[in-house]
Amino acid sequence: MYIATVALSSCGGCHQSLFLAGEPLIAMLCDNNISFSNYMVDARSISPSDVVLATGAIRNYEELEIADEIGRTSRKVIAVGSCAVYGGVPGARDIEPPRPETGEALIPGLLDEVQPLDSRIDIELYIPGCPPPPNLIFEALRSVLEGYGHPSFDGTVCSECTRGVEHKGVKAWNHHPGCGVPSMLCLLNRGLLCLGPVTRGGCHAVCTSKGAVCIGCRGPSAMVLSSQLHSMFSDMVKFVSLTTGNREEKTAGQMMSMLKSLYMFTRRDPVTRARVGEKVAGG
Amino acid sequence: MVDTGVGLTDASDLGGGRVRLYPLTRVMGRADIEVSISGEGQVGEARFRALEYRGFEQMVLGMPAFRVPSMLSRICGACGPFHQLAACIAVENGCSTDVPKAAGWFRELLAWLWLGQSHLVNITYLALPDFVLPMSDPAVRNVVGIYAVEHETVHRLTTVLAAFSEALDMLAGLPVHPAVVVPGGVSYLPDWSACTKASVLLSGCEHELREILRLVEMITKRNAQMIESAMPFRGHYMASTVAGRQALVGETVTAAPFQQGETREMPARDFYDSIVEKPVPWSYLVEAAVGDMGPVLVGPLARVNLGFDTQAPWAELERARTTEIWGHPLDREFLFLVALILEVIRAWENALLLLEQRPKVMEPCVRPKLVDSEGMAVVESPRGTLVHSLRMDAEGFITSYRIVSPLQFNFAMLNQHLTGCARKTVGGMELSEGAAQNLQFALRAFSPCVPCGTH
Repeated sequence: MYIATVALSSCGGCHQSLFLAGEPLIAMLCDNNISFSNYMVDARSISPSDVVLATGAIRNYEELEIADEIGRTSRKVIAVGSCAVYGGVPGARDIEPPRPETGEALIPGLLDEVQPLDSRIDIELYIPGCPPPPNLIFEALRSVLEGYGHPSFDGTVCSECTRGVEHKGVKAWNHHPGCGVPSMLCLLNRGLLCLGPVTRGGCHAVCTSKGAVCIGCRGPSAMVLSSQLHSMFSDMVKFVSLTTGNREEKTAGQMMSMLKSLYMFTRRDPVTRARVGEKVAGG
Repeated sequence: MVDTGVGLTDASDLGGGRVRLYPLTRVMGRADIEVSISGEGQVGEARFRALEYRGFEQMVLGMPAFRVPSMLSRICGACGPFHQLAACIAVENGCSTDVPKAAGWFRELLAWLWLGQSHLVNITYLALPDFVLPMSDPAVRNVVGIYAVEHETVHRLTTVLAAFSEALDMLAGLPVHPAVVVPGGVSYLPDWSACTKASVLLSGCEHELREILRLVEMITKRNAQMIESAMPFRGHYMASTVAGRQALVGETVTAAPFQQGETREMPARDFYDSIVEKPVPWSYLVEAAVGDMGPVLVGPLARVNLGFDTQAPWAELERARTTEIWGHPLDREFLFLVALILEVIRAWENALLLLEQRPKVMEPCVRPKLVDSEGMAVVESPRGTLVHSLRMDAEGFITSYRIVSPLQFNFAMLNQHLTGCARKTVGGMELSEGAAQNLQFALRAFSPCVPCGTH
């Protein structure tokens, strides 16, 4: 099999995570062929591949061409990371191009909007996460290479979190843990905007286990994706109201100012189309 | 802009007077090198061009300061935790907040582990193929090619890498973009059990680390004899320091000359004030000049040249031995790999020492009192000196943000060095595979990280 990796508008974190799979990954690549990967091999052109691990969103015209080229020459594309799947952090805010394009030196111009990968090409498998854990990427790659079903998990981050809920009201929401959070208490009960209830799990809730809030890097949960009647915001409001006893209207009012934090990884894909939900690896 | 598959050059697209090496491989991010050629076929200059831009400085405007660090960690997959740390320190600096001692201890421990992990990935996947398989076909000059012929070497490297990343998993939850560092401290502190397990993991790879060091020394000597184009760096090397010794989070920044001249030590604030950014129309990367100093080099080689601390005796001993062999300062591109492994050893020693020094009073965090203020931070990331500065309003919303990354500092020296390399190796409008390899080898010595560079 011919395997490729490509990075579009990304931080390189998904490749870093892939590389942490270590010797099993290298052995797998040794048993196959790397057709191109600017992070790993010195090939300079995109050549036909059986499987492409594509990371990053489409931010500029060069990335648009690369995405199209991959779509034309590859059999199966795996979208790795929330930038590729949802647009990710690069799509969180609109920005101004840093300077007028001169046309003199072929600097790729920026697109008006950041686009997720499936806006241009068909995706075989989605692995959201910022970045997805090394084992999720590795197992997804192996499942596609060997043709067996990818591991799936439909639970939320909350379903993997070991913290307990206390049913008590929250007066205000904030972004700081103060002088620390008791290890067994739900972060929402401390007034911290933790997106665990509406975020896809499969990450073993590592952030909340270390006292940090879930920032939603794995994107919307299967429940949020299941119907147009759901959204991260409405589901979050419902969950928090149930957890804290606060009225839904009050909770919604409190959270309106935090919408940007809620959609930090998915703003470019707010409805987060149902087809993503059907084909997500590792949950 | 996708490579047309015609080979290494596509001069017609560039007006006939330039050849282009695109895409650059085994570097972080997407970039090219453009070499201008005169009508007589003489090389004019070579320039490194970053081709991507995301606009993080704009994206954080209007965001709550407490949420900014987690967003800015997404600037870079290799140096993300250092962006997060720098953003936290900048907020704390603006709010005049001192982090609890235990939080400072945990941050330093994590920083060493992140640095070691980042360098090990750099060595294994990006840098090592140039040294182990310098004369091989480009198709096999990569980690998989090494694995096929030198399985043991890759096994050793991945064993050490696994020890670092598993220790990070255990302590920080995630090896990439971990969430534990927050303004005012950390979100939690590890217990003795986690520290002990991490310590056992790291201690267990000492033999592999020693073997890797010996291998790196051997292949560096071999490559030194093979590389005819290696020229000395010209300008200053620079890193943050405390009391003259290199430190991850320094109070001062020290710059020393590669050739003759005097060493300068600047307080971090003065250093920041002296930075002048110089945009160019042909790249998304903006050069950062430091006063009138001329080209500077930051990163592993610069830090090794400035000297380690006494907490890492093995690393310091090996560093001294290296400078005995190659002279001081280390000023050739092929010494980059030695610098990386010396820093891994330093990170390993410091992490082990810190794991033994877990504080008794475990206060993870204080809440900074938000005020209308400015704050800044200078830290050493794996790729070199990194600066964050911000301004926030009285409610803690960001009104301006500025990031100056290692590649911006290195930009002038990198182009100067690439130009010298191109004049030795590029012959007219034909860019041979050998010349391409030489240019990229020279480039990788600067450890360029485009995502950090253009952020």
